[in-house]
This record gives sequence, C-alpha cells and structure tokens, in this order.
Amino acid sequence: MRRWTLSLLAVSAVLLLAAPGPRAAETIKIGIAGPLTGDQAAFGEMLKNGSLLAAEEWNAGGGVVLRGKKVKVELLWGDDRHDPREGVSIAHKFVNSGVAGVVGHFNSSVSIPASTVYAEAGVVQITPASTNPKLTEQGFKTVFRACGRDDQQGEVAADFIKNKLKAKSVAILHDKTTYGQGLADETRRFLAKLGLKDAFYSGIVQGDKDFTPVLTAAKQKNPDVVFFGGIHPEAILLVKQMRERLGMNAAFMSGDGVYVDEFFKIAGKAAEGSYVTFTPDQAKIQAAQGVIAKHRERFGKEVGAYTIYSYVAANLILQSIQETNTTAGARLAAHLRSKAWNTALGKIQFNARGDVLASPYVMWQVKGGKFVQLN
Amino acid sequence: MFTQQLVNGIVVGSVYALIALGYTLVYGILQLINFAHGEIYMMGAYVGIAVLGVLAAMGLTQQSLALSLLLVFLIPMIYCAAYGVTLERLAYRPLRRAPRLSPLISAIGMSIFLQNYVQVAQGARDKAFPNLLSLGSFEVMGAHVSGLQVFILATALAMMAGLQLFIHRTRLGRAMRATAQDRTMAALVGVDVNRVIAVTFAVGSVLAAVAGVMVGMYYGLVNHHIGFVAGIKAFTAAVLGGIGNVTGALLGGFLLALLENFWAGYVSAVYKDVFAFAVLIVVLIFRPEGILGGSAGVDRA
Repeated sequence: MRRWTLSLLAVSAVLLLAAPGPRAAETIKIGIAGPLTGDQAAFGEMLKNGSLLAAEEWNAGGGVVLRGKKVKVELLWGDDRHDPREGVSIAHKFVNSGVAGVVGHFNSSVSIPASTVYAEAGVVQITPASTNPKLTEQGFKTVFRACGRDDQQGEVAADFIKNKLKAKSVAILHDKTTYGQGLADETRRFLAKLGLKDAFYSGIVQGDKDFTPVLTAAKQKNPDVVFFGGIHPEAILLVKQMRERLGMNAAFMSGDGVYVDEFFKIAGKAAEGSYVTFTPDQAKIQAAQGVIAKHRERFGKEVGAYTIYSYVAANLILQSIQETNTTAGARLAAHLRSKAWNTALGKIQFNARGDVLASPYVMWQVKGGKFVQLN
Repeated sequence: MFTQQLVNGIVVGSVYALIALGYTLVYGILQLINFAHGEIYMMGAYVGIAVLGVLAAMGLTQQSLALSLLLVFLIPMIYCAAYGVTLERLAYRPLRRAPRLSPLISAIGMSIFLQNYVQVAQGARDKAFPNLLSLGSFEVMGAHVSGLQVFILATALAMMAGLQLFIHRTRLGRAMRATAQDRTMAALVGVDVNRVIAVTFAVGSVLAAVAGVMVGMYYGLVNHHIGFVAGIKAFTAAVLGGIGNVTGALLGGFLLALLENFWAGYVSAVYKDVFAFAVLIVVLIFRPEGILGGSAGVDRA
C-alpha cells in the first residue's frame, strides 16, 4: 500500500511540474532553429550567438515598441540536429507557442519542409543560411532568405574551375542532402554550359567515415578538381583521405557549407589550397564592424560564417514588428518586401520570392591555415 | 583500382573484426548482444585523444614516440576494460536470471546513456585526433598504401593472435571456453563463472579500445556518435560470421568491409550501407546461424 501511495505522490508531483505556471509578462517570441547540437553544432553556435546578440541589444533598450509600450524579446530554441523530421516538429512547436517569427532553419533539407508549416500558419521565416533555390520557389509569402542561392554559388564555382583552374576533368561528389546535391547539381549544370562535362559524379553517405572506395573510383578519371556539395564534417574526411590515403593531388573545392574554421583546423595540411565559395569578407563591411566587436566582447571569439546573417535575420523581424506595430505574419512579410533595409551586412532588399536582390559569391582559398579571399 | 580497394577494405575490415570480437565473445558466454559495445569503442578513441593531449603538454610526444605510442594504446585499454567490467556489473549481472529481453533492453539503455554522457561531457562537435605517427606512404601494384594502414593492420593482427593464444593456451581461456559450452557445468567443476564473465567483458573492451584509438588515428576525427555506426557494422560482421564464433567474427569483419568497399567503389557509393545489410539478410536467409556458426562448440569462446 505504501508503495502505491508513494508512486501516486510521485506521479502527481510530476503532473504539478508539468502544469503551466503563472503566466509570465507578455513577450515577443522569436524561434531560433538549427543544428544546435550534433556534428554540425559549429553552425548552430553561429545561429545562436548571432540571434542572441540581436535580442540582447533590443532588450537592453527595453524591448520592441509594440502598441505603445516596450515589450521584451524572448528567444525559443529549436535544435533540429539537421534532421528534416526534427525540423518539422520544431516548426509545429514554434507555431503552437505563438512565435512572431523564426530565424532558421539552417540546412536547406530542413528549411524546406519546415517552411510549409510556417507558411500555413502565416509565420515569417528568415533563414540565415539555407541556399537551395527551391526554398523560395514554393510560392510562399512568408519565406525569406538573408543569404545567397546555390545557383549563384554554382555559377561562380563552375566559372572558376573552367576559366581560372583550366581544369580538363572534374569529379563531383555530394552528400545527397537538399543543400549538398543541389549545390553539386547547379555547379554541374553551369560546368556543362561552359562545355565541361564531369568525368565522375556520385553521392556519398552523410555520417560515413570512410570515403576511400568512392575516391578511389574517382581517382581513376584523373580529375584536376574534386568538387564536393556538402558540409564540413564530410569535407574534412574527403580531403584528408584524398591527400593522405590515396595521394590525390586534385584541387578540392566546395561551397559555403565548408566555410568553417573546423575545416582547416581538423584537416590540417590536407586542407591547404582547398577552394570554397562564399560571400565577400564580412570583416571589410563597414556596417558589420559593430557586431563583430560586440561578438568578440560577448563570446570571446570571432564571428563565424553565418553569425552576422543570423543577427541580421533576427533584427529584420524585430524591426518590422516595431515598424508595423503588429506581430501578424502577413503584414510583417509585406513590410519586409516593401523597402531596402540597412543592415549589418549592408543594404538588403528582398524580391517577390523572398530572395535578396544581390548576393555576389566569391572564391576563397585555404592558405597558411586560414580562409583567404581571392580576387 | 582493384588493389587499392582491396587494401582499404582489409584495413577497415581489421577494425570491424576487432570490434566484432567483443560482440561475439560476450554472446558466446552469455547469449547477450552487448549493444553498448560500440560506445566502449568510442570511449577508447576519446581517452586516446585525452592521453595524447596530456602527453603533448608534457612534451613526451617529442621525446619518445615509442613510449607515447604505448601509452596512447595502454591507457585507453585499461580505462575501457574497467568500463566494460563495470557495465557488466551494473547493467547485466543483476539481470542474468531475467528473461532474455531484459538485458537486451538494459544494453540499449546503456548505449544511449554512454553516448549522451560523452556528448554532454565532451561537447557535440567533432574532435580532431592529433597526428602522432607520420609514417609516409608507398605504392604497391598501383595502390597507394600508407604506413599508418600497415601499422593498423599489423596491430589488429597482433591483437587477434594474442586473443587466440589467450583463449587456447591459458587457464582463464580454458575456463572461458568451458563457460561458453555450459555455464552450469563449468560452475559445478569449480570455474568461477562471474570472474570469467568479467574477464570476457574486459577482453572485449580492450579490443574495442584498440580499435577506437586506431580509428581515431586513421580518420583523424572523432565524435560521440561514431560508436553507433561502428557498433552496428561490427555486430553485422559478427552475425555474418556466426555469432559466438571467434573465427567467424574475424571472417565476418573482413568480408563485410571488403564487400562494402568493392560495392561502393564499383557500383554505388550511395547504397554502401544498404548493400552491407542486404548481404547480411541474404546470408541469414540461407544460413541463419551465420557462415561459421553452429559448427559445434569446438571453436566457441
């Protein structure tokens, strides 16, 4: 009998904990979603730090002015672990918690299914990093992208391979994700336009550790360039195994998913000389200096590839809430499209699809253990 | 290309085989699939990184390569052996008389627990495994072979030979074989069954630790998740060869890695894992006991 009483007590205690407490003072909720843990946590950290800086700035000034009074900003975290299913369930959770907008998700393969949920609920979503073209071509009014697109990125990569590296033979690999395969296919398409047909094309399994079988097959075609559409954990292993295991000298090239310090830190010598397409040096943007300094002070390190993008995305949502005096998604979306915004990344204007009007990609190279912009 | 795939496959196979031995040893004695075994391997790699970090800070990696190499293997071996024995004591021994499903669930639980524990304690990001051995490389019949690959294969073979000697030439090994054949009978003739089981877990964990450190060296990158895939692959290898059979685990490990490599190299890299498990299913349809399984208790341990 006593056992029963005890377990009943325990159950009721748990229920008590789960019951909603007294309602906190009203806040503006912004959902922040991306791979906060897992092998891509390096990206999650950029997302987190960037949006945290933005929220803290607003809150330091009392909050966002809404209907005549200042309201604090509250960030809700969603760790999608770059898993599309997780992403969708986080999207539902965000919508149910009544978020006014979402900064995220990070990976295209997650952003695209999640965008359907946000569009149905009429919640504004600004992704700082998902570059797959499809995201903004679904006809949703609520989707925005602060970064560039893979067709722009693929064009730069293809041009560089054909005209700068004068490659005769190219091997293309991708990680089968929406982002990775999308980027690889765009690069492939632009290469074909320039009259260079890929000699080798194959997918790899994300999360696998040994890519020597596929690299050995690629090596048979004597490629001058190995292009990889994917994210840094696989890129590190690919470039290491190319150099150390198979003695391949082909140039290694990839996209913004590899623009992370981990790439050359872990791959070391093997990564030296690798090419990565990314946007021009943010450290040279005048408007970004403030965030860069604040980030250094707050987190004790330099901003990552997508920190400022996340900061800008959060700011755009909060600023349009204040300017339109509402949290209604449709009105926020219309307002976001209505004008050019002065942001930490310079002037940003969205087109009807929600893409930024101009987003020039440039080529970067790993030189002496860091990324150096090529001109 | 063929020789290159062969070389790569054999090296990966030796690692699969080392981990598969741990599964098969425990299964042979307890008829338990120790699903937390992959996690022991992962911890071996992490302890290896920690040891290397300490050694580098002490400047020992510069002074004596042989000594640091010994320590990089020895400390994870001891650490993991302790983990394996503790695991058995905490998660499996209390359930030894329970229905077979209970220890299995306990094993899966331990696996999830250890994985999350390492994620929380060490962070979720990939960790670089510092480069200790720079052995260069050479060409053999068109294949690029690195010194590290030779080192890994040699170490793995030495461990396997050591295990065979242990099982067939020592008192403890004989006790292990006896316990595998009939636990009750072994106990009746004076074998300390609990001790034998603890030793079995320790031995399996030592092999996993060696595999973990070598994989860390080989790929140069470790995270909390590597135990899962490696564990599943090694388990597949053990089942393929005939679980409970030591030679079977070795055969299964090499066979699985080679098939996987050739498939990925010649047919499709995308369906590498799909193929590995398809092979397992086909083998199990025609030989449910595995390739070498069921060949009486002669080679069991």
